Amino acid sequence: MTQENRSDRPQGRPPEGDSRLTRTESQLRGPFLLFFISAVIWLLAASVLGVIAALEQGSLAGGPFRDCEMLTYGHIAAAQHNLFVYGWGFNAFFALNLWLLSQLGRFELRNGWLATLGGVFWNLALTYGVVLIFAGNQTGFSLLEFPREVGPVLAVAFLLAGFWPIVAFARRPTGHTFASQWFVVAASFAFPLTYLLAQLLILWQPASGVVQAIAHSWFVSNLLLLWFGASALAAVYYFLPKVLDRTISGYYLAPVAFWSFVLFAGWTGPAALIGAPVPLWLQSVGVVAGAMLIIPAIITAINFHGTLSSEGGWSRAWNDTTLRFVSFGAVSFTVFGVLNAVFSFRGYNAVTRFTSFAAGQEQLLTYAFASMVLFGATYFVLPRLTGSLWPSAKLVHVHFWSTALGAVASIVALLVGGWENGKQLADASVSFQQIAKSTTAWNTVLSVSAVLLLVGHIAFALNAFGMILKSSAPASAGRHD
Amino acid sequence: MKNLNSLLAGIFLAVAFPFGTLVISSQIQLGPLGPAPAEEGGPLFPSREPGLAIQGRAVYVSLGCVSCHTQQVRPAGQGSDIARGYGVRASVARDYVLQKPVLLGERRIGPDLANYGARTKDLAVVHTAIKHDGQFTFLYTGAKQEVPSGRAVALAAYLQSLRQDYSSPEAKLKK
Repeated sequence: MTQENRSDRPQGRPPEGDSRLTRTESQLRGPFLLFFISAVIWLLAASVLGVIAALEQGSLAGGPFRDCEMLTYGHIAAAQHNLFVYGWGFNAFFALNLWLLSQLGRFELRNGWLATLGGVFWNLALTYGVVLIFAGNQTGFSLLEFPREVGPVLAVAFLLAGFWPIVAFARRPTGHTFASQWFVVAASFAFPLTYLLAQLLILWQPASGVVQAIAHSWFVSNLLLLWFGASALAAVYYFLPKVLDRTISGYYLAPVAFWSFVLFAGWTGPAALIGAPVPLWLQSVGVVAGAMLIIPAIITAINFHGTLSSEGGWSRAWNDTTLRFVSFGAVSFTVFGVLNAVFSFRGYNAVTRFTSFAAGQEQLLTYAFASMVLFGATYFVLPRLTGSLWPSAKLVHVHFWSTALGAVASIVALLVGGWENGKQLADASVSFQQIAKSTTAWNTVLSVSAVLLLVGHIAFALNAFGMILKSSAPASAGRHD
Repeated sequence: MKNLNSLLAGIFLAVAFPFGTLVISSQIQLGPLGPAPAEEGGPLFPSREPGLAIQGRAVYVSLGCVSCHTQQVRPAGQGSDIARGYGVRASVARDYVLQKPVLLGERRIGPDLANYGARTKDLAVVHTAIKHDGQFTFLYTGAKQEVPSGRAVALAAYLQSLRQDYSSPEAKLKK
């Protein structure tokens, strides 16, 4: 880490890292582990609920908990969705974004207790919100189901826990910036804005009538694209060149990818309202923005797949645990971009509307892309922070294969099943009972893939927690005085 | 890109501009909507919901019914909503001005309910439907779950209050 190293660094390549625990890393270790451990616990909870939800959906008329009010599908589905997004997705990206920008900006987190405090608030508010969902107190807006008093606490907790990457960016010692930094700054800045405005207009001072639905669609698209999407893109931009030890190919295009992504993401929301009683111009804006997202999808495809394609990159990626997950995610993002552009259009949307298709697209973005990238990043970061090795290679294999298979199976079931379902719904002569019958096969696939995902997550958790427990890191040098 | 302020300004605009255009301008466009007669001197629609229906809406929200049921009829040509009998006309923004919260829904695991009250007059049928072949029996008491609880009564009243079968200035019914 010398001065000359900084100025000579080629474009499109993150700075060289130190294989030992750096001072930067040792200072963020505490908050990182808090975020990470909470993330994995919530991921496990969400996966258990995912299995129950899949079973219940598979047998509409019954399910294992047919007469238990607390476990009706409406409660389970909402709790699962919120735990996955706010429990896993947010905690895990708090940890990764903080680590990433501290590394890239050589930032020493001196007030780590503030981040820890934010993490504690975040997880307490989340627990409270989920308990209330089970108790029958929810708002009816997906991903804003928590009763409104939870919102301000989550917002404050976000500022304490999730704002550090921006501080790290502001305090970086060099003028040079890297693509990962832009995306993380965007994610950390856009989310609190979006969340506060959505809370205000949907729960505290509800806008009139369907404007609530419009504000909600805007919120959901921002949450998914600008938090999950941008954070995960930042990680791919970092880990691909880092682990392969080469520059991103076509890196000069990355600023275009960044700005086109950030500029179009915010307009895509109303595409989820095609056919709804909202002004037509809104729906058209959503369609156009969805189609325009193909630009960042193509550029990131050139950046990522170009980097992977040269000099046996794919086979090296396959043999490296981190890159195996990260490149799975990179491919998923390209698929997401293409699907999103094609299925924004009215003709297709009229078929897929109200089916599981949208859930499939969301799963593609938040799981096959963002979560797989998070897994890959963990395999890179955690050994550095704990100073020990992953306890079991077998568990890593179980983790990869069950999550990869589970992700592909569930996405295919949601997308293809959604399309078939939509075709039947469009034909008024097919009754609802017939439709329910023909979705049984896809529901079975969904149940099996939910179990696969749970198995993968258990393997991941065992490995990660085993590693944290046996780590001898507290004694390591450079620990905060 | 190297300057934090211009980066943040760009991101702020990328969030704020869509918000202003999509959300605030539709509030300006749709905010003043209220119940209105289809023709001068006619009755005002949508009409106010009875108190029991408002209680029933709270039950609907609390059980998460919105995760399987939509409340919107798409125009003819988009899907088969009208052919399926979900409504006689497409839903319009004015239909929702009195609803708090608006529960348009995103999934149709079950049928659309925007006009449930218009197509189901028989209260016994409503209660059978709420039970979903034995899933929501906790809302009922009695040996055969035949006695609806207060919540089931409210929920049924809410479902029966759901109707968009009137003419409104934006969507006139053919006579």
